[in-house]
Amino acid sequence: MSAFLDSNFIQQLLLSTVRMATPILFVALAELYSERAGLVNIGLDGLMTFGAFMGFLVGYHTNNPWLGMLTGAAAGVAMNMIYAFFTVSMCAEQIVYGMAINILAPALATFFNRISFSDTSISIEGVRMSPVAIPGLSKIPFIGEILFDHPPMVYAVYALLIFTAVFFNKTKPGLNYKAVGEFPRAAETLGIRVIRTKYIASVICGALAGVGGAYLTICSTNTFSEGIVAGRGFIALSAVIFGRWSSGGVMLACLLFGFCDALQIRLQIVSPSTPYQLLQMIPYVATLLALLFFGIRRSGPKANGQPYFREER
Amino acid sequence: MRKTEKIVALLIPVLSILIAFIIGGIIIACLGKSPIAAYQKLFDGAFGTSTKFAQTLEIACPLIFTGLCAAFAYKCGVFNLGGEGQFIIGAVTSIAACLLLGLKGPGGVFVSLVLGMLAGAVWGAIPGIMKVTRGLNEMITSIMLNYVATLFMGYVYTNLLREGSTPQTPAIDESLKLADLPGTKTHWGFLLAVLLAVFLTYVIYRTSFGFQIRAVGMNPTAARFNGFRVKKLILLSFIISGAIAGLGGSIELQGKQFRLMNGFGQGFGFDGVAIALIAQLNPIGAALVAFLFGVLRKGSSSMQTSMKIPSSVASIIQALIIIFAVGGSALIRQPGFQKMLNRHHDRSTEGKGAQA
Repeated sequence: MSAFLDSNFIQQLLLSTVRMATPILFVALAELYSERAGLVNIGLDGLMTFGAFMGFLVGYHTNNPWLGMLTGAAAGVAMNMIYAFFTVSMCAEQIVYGMAINILAPALATFFNRISFSDTSISIEGVRMSPVAIPGLSKIPFIGEILFDHPPMVYAVYALLIFTAVFFNKTKPGLNYKAVGEFPRAAETLGIRVIRTKYIASVICGALAGVGGAYLTICSTNTFSEGIVAGRGFIALSAVIFGRWSSGGVMLACLLFGFCDALQIRLQIVSPSTPYQLLQMIPYVATLLALLFFGIRRSGPKANGQPYFREER
Repeated sequence: MRKTEKIVALLIPVLSILIAFIIGGIIIACLGKSPIAAYQKLFDGAFGTSTKFAQTLEIACPLIFTGLCAAFAYKCGVFNLGGEGQFIIGAVTSIAACLLLGLKGPGGVFVSLVLGMLAGAVWGAIPGIMKVTRGLNEMITSIMLNYVATLFMGYVYTNLLREGSTPQTPAIDESLKLADLPGTKTHWGFLLAVLLAVFLTYVIYRTSFGFQIRAVGMNPTAARFNGFRVKKLILLSFIISGAIAGLGGSIELQGKQFRLMNGFGQGFGFDGVAIALIAQLNPIGAALVAFLFGVLRKGSSSMQTSMKIPSSVASIIQALIIIFAVGGSALIRQPGFQKMLNRHHDRSTEGKGAQA
């Protein structure tokens, strides 16, 4: 038991909490931008998978992690445009279409994986983004290594988080954006371009979800395997509900889920005799429990999930 | 529903399948192979001999169950994405019963199937209870339970019921395996799946219970004002949906796989959802679409071995079918398209003096 109380164990645990929370945080922000414009997107798992593969592929060929990230974002956007076209322009049911993306995107990723690498049974190593220690801060004992010695994407997500909080609460475009998710008809009469906002939301959502996926194959590991996303899109979706659609809440929720993920990995290392499947259940069970105790009935954007028929008066 | 609308509703899946196959053909051509030869191989692989056809039916069988599972829940307006978990828990319960209770013979088959079905129902009830008591999003909860179920199954075949050095359970007793239908090489679970589809069609469209389920699915508020017990119906639909998937898992175990190992049931849940959506939640339609998916799954593996085309082309075709089918259903609900339909309808009924 002493292994659990070791300060090294705790440091490693917190360090991997930050690492594991990052992809979920990217994707949860993706969903936040989408839902704030009234678009519930449950296709996050699919967007992530596609971003993860395309990012990995380009990173592998160019040996440039940044190009990989960019491709991941572009792949997410491309895939999410299908969702946007059908849900925004054709007013298809968002839930159903998100599900369609969850089926299409992994199928494409698997297909491209099989034609790009003839033998997918061995794991091919691509490029990996190396950590950048922040001078000075990373030298602080204990917390320096936990907080300030990460791949740049980790810092980026927190910068984005602060930007998001300011954007939605303090800026006029941000409030206009939110109006689209709350009451699109009123927003339209005030001159806010609802359809355009919804498309912008879908671009942001696709890009962030793609980056979240690419993080898994470029920062967390440097390999791609089918099923690498492992439900993280749905965990991010619940992080948005659990964080009650606010940036701070979403961050706390993602850190909690990141902690659970880190905990199961660390426990596997210190306690190899415990069946690993039981430990791997931790993040999923924690998500269920978190929702059970803190998830609340509808308090999201009011027009969330509803199609907007522009011509219907 | 008016006649034109009915025709359009039927046309959508058919056209979607056609377009998806055409795009699939283009993808195959891009790989430098002949699409016609590839599709020939695909259909030959699925229908070529009676053995191949029997295998196709057996592959379609679990998909019918998960398709019906998704369709039934969504008829009641809830999105059960947990078909895979319920399917797996059904199979896990069945194998535990088969191996630990010392079941034998037809009675044993019956007990094991019923236990699997009940386990699926319980697993399906969890997101249902969370939905009606706490208002939790059933999609997230049911997905999380899928992962828990899959991991639990892994624990069972690598630890609890492991046989020897390979991570898998021992096979079930010979007397517990489902027999083939007379004159075929397909186990009778397939017939059960088809009968279930017919039975569910009857329940949904011809009984008062089915009417209540549909009413809740269409408009829960209106259903509540009409005195229907909405929460009870939602919970029931989850339980029934879970029971269908659980039974499917038991049948897959006892009819086809005979043991649990890595990959059991993988992808059946989401395929079931796709099937239900393409079939527009019609149970018999779901059985037909599941059959098509079975053809794609079976045929694509022979396509892969003989022509070196990745079998994942079939998954892309499946995914495209759903993209187009759901998009098509949205298209006909568009106000503009509705007006066009109405105009057509008015013209065609003008002479008869009927009211539109």
